[in-house]
Amino acid sequence: MSAATRRRMMRFASQLGTLFCAALLVSPALFFFLWMISLSLKLEIDNGAYPPIFIPTHIAWKNYSGVFASNNFFLYFWNSIVVTGTATLLALIVGVPAGYGIARMKASKSAIVIMIARMTPGLSYLIPMFLIFQWLGLLGTLAPQIIIHLVVTVPIVIWVMIGYFETTPLELEEAAMIDGANRWQIFSQVTLPIARPGIVVSLILSVIFSWNNFIFGVVLAGRDTRTLPVAVYNMLSFEQVSWGPLAAAALVVTFPVLVLTIVAQRQIVAGLTAGAVKGG
Amino acid sequence: MAAVTLSHVGKSYGAVGVLHGVSVDIADGEFVILVGQSGCGKSTLLRMIAGLESVTSGDISIGDRVINDLPPKDRDIAMVFQNYALYPHMTVRKNMEFGLKLRGTPRAEINEKVAHASAILGLESLMERLPRELSGGQRQRVAMGRAIVRDPQVFLFDEPLSNLDAKLRVHMRTEIKALHQRLGATVIYVTHDQIEAMTMADKIVVMHDGRIAQQGAPLDIYDRPANLFVAQFIGSPSMNILDGQFAGDGSAVFITDKGVHILLANVPAENAGRPAKIGIRPEHIMLNDSGIAARVIVTEPTGSETQLTLDVDGHELVVLIRDRVDYKPNDVLKIGLAQNHIHAFDADSGSRLTL
Ligand SMILES: Nc1ncnc2c1ncn2[C@@H]1O[C@H](COP(=O)(O)OP(=O)(O)OP(=O)(O)O)[C@@H](O)[C@H]1O
Ligand SMILES: [Mg+2]
Repeated sequence: MSAATRRRMMRFASQLGTLFCAALLVSPALFFFLWMISLSLKLEIDNGAYPPIFIPTHIAWKNYSGVFASNNFFLYFWNSIVVTGTATLLALIVGVPAGYGIARMKASKSAIVIMIARMTPGLSYLIPMFLIFQWLGLLGTLAPQIIIHLVVTVPIVIWVMIGYFETTPLELEEAAMIDGANRWQIFSQVTLPIARPGIVVSLILSVIFSWNNFIFGVVLAGRDTRTLPVAVYNMLSFEQVSWGPLAAAALVVTFPVLVLTIVAQRQIVAGLTAGAVKGG
Repeated sequence: MAAVTLSHVGKSYGAVGVLHGVSVDIADGEFVILVGQSGCGKSTLLRMIAGLESVTSGDISIGDRVINDLPPKDRDIAMVFQNYALYPHMTVRKNMEFGLKLRGTPRAEINEKVAHASAILGLESLMERLPRELSGGQRQRVAMGRAIVRDPQVFLFDEPLSNLDAKLRVHMRTEIKALHQRLGATVIYVTHDQIEAMTMADKIVVMHDGRIAQQGAPLDIYDRPANLFVAQFIGSPSMNILDGQFAGDGSAVFITDKGVHILLANVPAENAGRPAKIGIRPEHIMLNDSGIAARVIVTEPTGSETQLTLDVDGHELVVLIRDRVDYKPNDVLKIGLAQNHIHAFDADSGSRLTL
């Protein structure tokens, strides 16, 4: 066997290995996802069948149409968009400059405080917050949920952004300073554009965590202020457990996040700073 | 264009002193090079002139203004960083325009200046590219272009060529020199490459541990190093140094610690018997049939000359010979030292002694 063939085979083997590991890692998630799709497309009888049927003979589109037809689906969808959208937007407005400040001042102590805020179980301040919102008379609105979602979204944004800003070469800012930029111009015209991939990453993470958040909504949401996950949960508890519609609803809830991730991942171009500094 | 004056400039980070009383007068249009070993404070000094580091003590003036407390943008300087620091999200053109735009320069003037600078640097065909689409040498030129368009009073360069390969470095050296002659601007240039320093500078400032070891014209420094540090730092291969003392009887002889007698042109009477070090550059040692016997350790031909490492009674001497010679290790030959090119330094302080 010639050296070239052997090298080619080695490369092939290592690619195969990588593929295998990747498949192994994602397979549980993928399996559940496929199973959910299968569930959502089956008639109720098929869902209970033994041995289980994976690909149904009759596609039960009505599971999906049922989700959209069920009362208030679009209201809950809209609630979710408002809560997640506002919480993420506010988190970016606050978190990006905060991350910048912490990274540049090397304020690792405040970074840790934020980390602790993130690690504290949400439930521990949910009750006091509930009382405060009640006292403020905000409970019928989406405001409490938006505010409480900030507890999740702001730390995520700050943490991701600290990492990004720390890798932005300081020399770029010094060059801008010498070029005549003031602090704000440096931030807005040099640092921020370079950190765009970081902003996209933190936006996606923030949206995912906020969108999927369930516990805050259960406590704080009223009948008209439910977000999608809470609405799905209510389906589970009030009708008898019907797996098909439930899976369909869960998929519908997941779908926007999936689309966002796929669209935004184009933005996360690695190595945007390539060429700024040698070897950078 | 303007003169730059550093008077007793000091810098410390907390209790750690980095620069101690550095004073340099830089004339308008002069090309000054700061050299010294890594960590001696060259970059710190340059960054203080740029306004990126605060001044702990002393004064820095550009023209006749003291600028210690002015922010960088008001100092009318431009700086080229070792890593170029090009804005990665802007094209070459945008990179060059950035400083002018911030200063509110009219569009027509911006275009004219950018066109002029890109023509000088040969960047016209690259104007719409992003920095990551350029080679190292091209990035280097863009970084210079960004400085040139600003038309500053003083250019600051921090090791701008250290990331380039040897050939490109020689090429850019010539280009920067030509550029300086063309623009006539004051340039302060940091390097630890002493060939760069010798070839480009009007004036070299040799720094050592945060102090100035010597400043002056390149050849003056080469011919008359003020102390042992400068003697060994400037010149490549570096100067041979021998320990020993002057003869006690007042004759013009230096006796090394291994007992080799070296004839000198002259030794002032007050130095008789004084412990000292003498230095001689490799090119000032030649083959001489009536000289001292030496054994060949290594022969290194470079094409244009041959570098020999010789053993003279236990002293290792490096010798540069212009002729093609073909010695083998352990060959024995005879060498002579050019008497009037021998330098002497005090054994303790290392400062230059007159011969
Ligand atoms: N922020 C800082 N805090 C403390 N010490 C510092 C700081 N910046 C630099 N120094 C010290 O100051 C000294 C001079 O540093 P400087 O960067 O000026 O060296 P240099 O001459 O440019 O060296 P090189 O040739 O390696 O670039 C070094 O000993 C360095 O450790
Ligand atoms: Mg340096």
